[in-house]
Amino acid sequence: MAAVAAASLALTGCGSGDEATTTEKPTGPVTIKVWAWYPEFQGVVDLFNKTHSDIKIEWTNAGAGQDQYTKLQTALKAGKGAPDVAMLELQEIPTFQLTKHLVDLGKYGANDVKGDYVEWAWKQVSTGDSVYAIPVDAGPMALLYREDLFKQYGLTVPTTWDEYKQQAEKLKAASGGKAFMTDFGANDGGFLTGLMWQAGAKPYAYDIADPSKIGVNVNSPEAKKVVEYWEGMVNGGLADTKAYGTTDFYNGLGSGKYVTYISAGWGPGYLQSIAEKTKGKWKAVPLPQWTAGANAQGDWGGSSFAVTDQAKYPDIAAKVAMELFGAKNTDAWKIGIDKAYLFPTATPILESDAFMKKEYEFFGGQKVNEVFVPAYNAIGEFAWSPFNSYNFNQITTGLNQAIEKKTPWSAALDTAQENIKTYATQQGFKVQ
Amino acid sequence: MTEVRNEPAAAPAAAGLPPRSGARSTAGGGRKRKWNLREAATGWLFVLPFAVLLVAFLLLPMAYAFKISLYRSTLVEGEVFAYFDNYKQAFDDPLVREGVVRVLIFGLIQTPLMIGIALLAALLIDAATSRFSRFFRLAAFVPYAVPVVIGTLMWGFLYSENVGPLSGLVNVDFLSGSTVLASLGNIVTWQWAGYNMIVLYAALQGLPREIYESAKMDGAGQVQIALRIKTPMISSALVLATLFTIMGTLQFFTEPLILQPLNPGAITQHYTPNLYAFNQAFSFQQYNYSAAISFLLGAVVFVGSYIFLFATRKRSALR
Repeated sequence: MAAVAAASLALTGCGSGDEATTTEKPTGPVTIKVWAWYPEFQGVVDLFNKTHSDIKIEWTNAGAGQDQYTKLQTALKAGKGAPDVAMLELQEIPTFQLTKHLVDLGKYGANDVKGDYVEWAWKQVSTGDSVYAIPVDAGPMALLYREDLFKQYGLTVPTTWDEYKQQAEKLKAASGGKAFMTDFGANDGGFLTGLMWQAGAKPYAYDIADPSKIGVNVNSPEAKKVVEYWEGMVNGGLADTKAYGTTDFYNGLGSGKYVTYISAGWGPGYLQSIAEKTKGKWKAVPLPQWTAGANAQGDWGGSSFAVTDQAKYPDIAAKVAMELFGAKNTDAWKIGIDKAYLFPTATPILESDAFMKKEYEFFGGQKVNEVFVPAYNAIGEFAWSPFNSYNFNQITTGLNQAIEKKTPWSAALDTAQENIKTYATQQGFKVQ
Repeated sequence: MTEVRNEPAAAPAAAGLPPRSGARSTAGGGRKRKWNLREAATGWLFVLPFAVLLVAFLLLPMAYAFKISLYRSTLVEGEVFAYFDNYKQAFDDPLVREGVVRVLIFGLIQTPLMIGIALLAALLIDAATSRFSRFFRLAAFVPYAVPVVIGTLMWGFLYSENVGPLSGLVNVDFLSGSTVLASLGNIVTWQWAGYNMIVLYAALQGLPREIYESAKMDGAGQVQIALRIKTPMISSALVLATLFTIMGTLQFFTEPLILQPLNPGAITQHYTPNLYAFNQAFSFQQYNYSAAISFLLGAVVFVGSYIFLFATRKRSALR
């Protein structure tokens, strides 16, 4: 283990100069293997290969989310088979960084593009001058609602969570319990954490610079406030509890069973693909607030490109990671925005008219990014733990069982807190 | 078992060498050994393909799994030798225990139910000889031809509250905590009853028909023939089918894994011991602990199968 770490340090160490790490200079175009999972990525790859004669990208879709991470972990552990550049969600970066499998892109000029991203997004991928990934997209949250059903049931658009609950009660009475204000997907750790983030919770204190220490606080009063609110919604019959990603959930969004959908920057495209028939009936508004007039936001999802320690030419791989969806690569972003429905993190793309003023037919011509971009800019700092999948699983399992057995939700967070602390201690962390 | 098989081979060799009084000649002894060696070599040659596969894909991975089950690797400190700590942890882990109990309850209900259905179907088809019986035989077997993953996904849709065929007709949530085990049992029965039926039906076909004739002449009806003659006579096939079912039940995995996303509150990550081991390895990177749980599970399957075989040894064809 230590030997591997030392070797990888040495490897990145000698790459800091102008020369590539290997003594032999590449002859002909260098092939860079990239793992990413959105299907529309092909267009971006073609575009890159057309515009570069010295680099050729070989793209593999190794599965979405956890599927890909499992394969990547295995390949990294085995010492071969990993791609040069891999797509990682923001919350996964510490996990892969801890095992020292990510190349510090700061040594290959990544800090030069720092100015293209807002502070919180850059903090997610870096510590000091060390950069472990280049941000691609993000998931600022917003409330999507059915304008026609709001009219039909006589509801007004809520701006606070209190109002949201009042409207939910009104809806329950008006629809005879047939429609729900929304569906609460307790199986999605990213969604839950996004809501807790908005409420001011800071579940983890972790700094890549000091990787053996971790603070765990998943049962903070802020986090409990969020789950107790939703416990009330669910037990009052105001929100359904179908797991996100299931047929029942899609069906509910398409059939009008759910009149709102708490979503993220990638949500408009996602919704369009699962509830096609409701085209033109949706509208986007900012996420309801805990305090009237406040502007607290959270993030749900988002991805980045990282370079693995198996990259033969880390400098070239770093270049690929920076350029694929770089701030200057407007052509790639045209595909990313129009076809893959990514929410860009690079400020020049984000603030361009092409993005800000884009009218979405699905939302009756609304310029939905005028809702999402301010939300993105207001997202504060947030740290993830280096064993995120365990934590997500503890929290979601606990809440799902609380829903099933009708036990207090905040107790589920207490249990998760204890389990996560035990796990962290077993893994050798100093827990604070 | 193996000694029994060697006996006939050794006998002719011994017969070819009449015992002499006093010390055996070295030449004779040598000839005997040579003969045995050649025979053993031929035997080994025949089992070689199987032996290679067994070693490469079962014994070596098992040895490796056992090795890593004795270590403990942590994110911060790397790998350390931990003796039997992982096994101790598994014994003390309430989540493992919960899974084991669930699987035992499941097996106690599901196994007799499914074997009963399979036996009934086999007896019915055996008694009827119309074209309908041929169709029914095939129809009952079809679910077995459907891959488990596909079959489970299909049932996932059928169980769905909003889009399933029963939505609105009955007010039952097939995937809630209280119903999901029965729903899973239904899938397993659907998938495997036809397969077991074919096994039992094949055994019934092998019975001599004259027995039924004489039973009829003695005044036995169809029901009596089925229950008192056919069923006892295929008991060794019944034991075999039951044994396979028990082994399958103890390793219950695919169906809960596929249905888990539909209601993760009801089907937890530790729903069955196998699922728990899987999640430990592939979700939480606890490969060592996962190996220990898998090894324990393997031991339970072995012991469980052995107990069943021992208890039914008089009926079993697997002695």
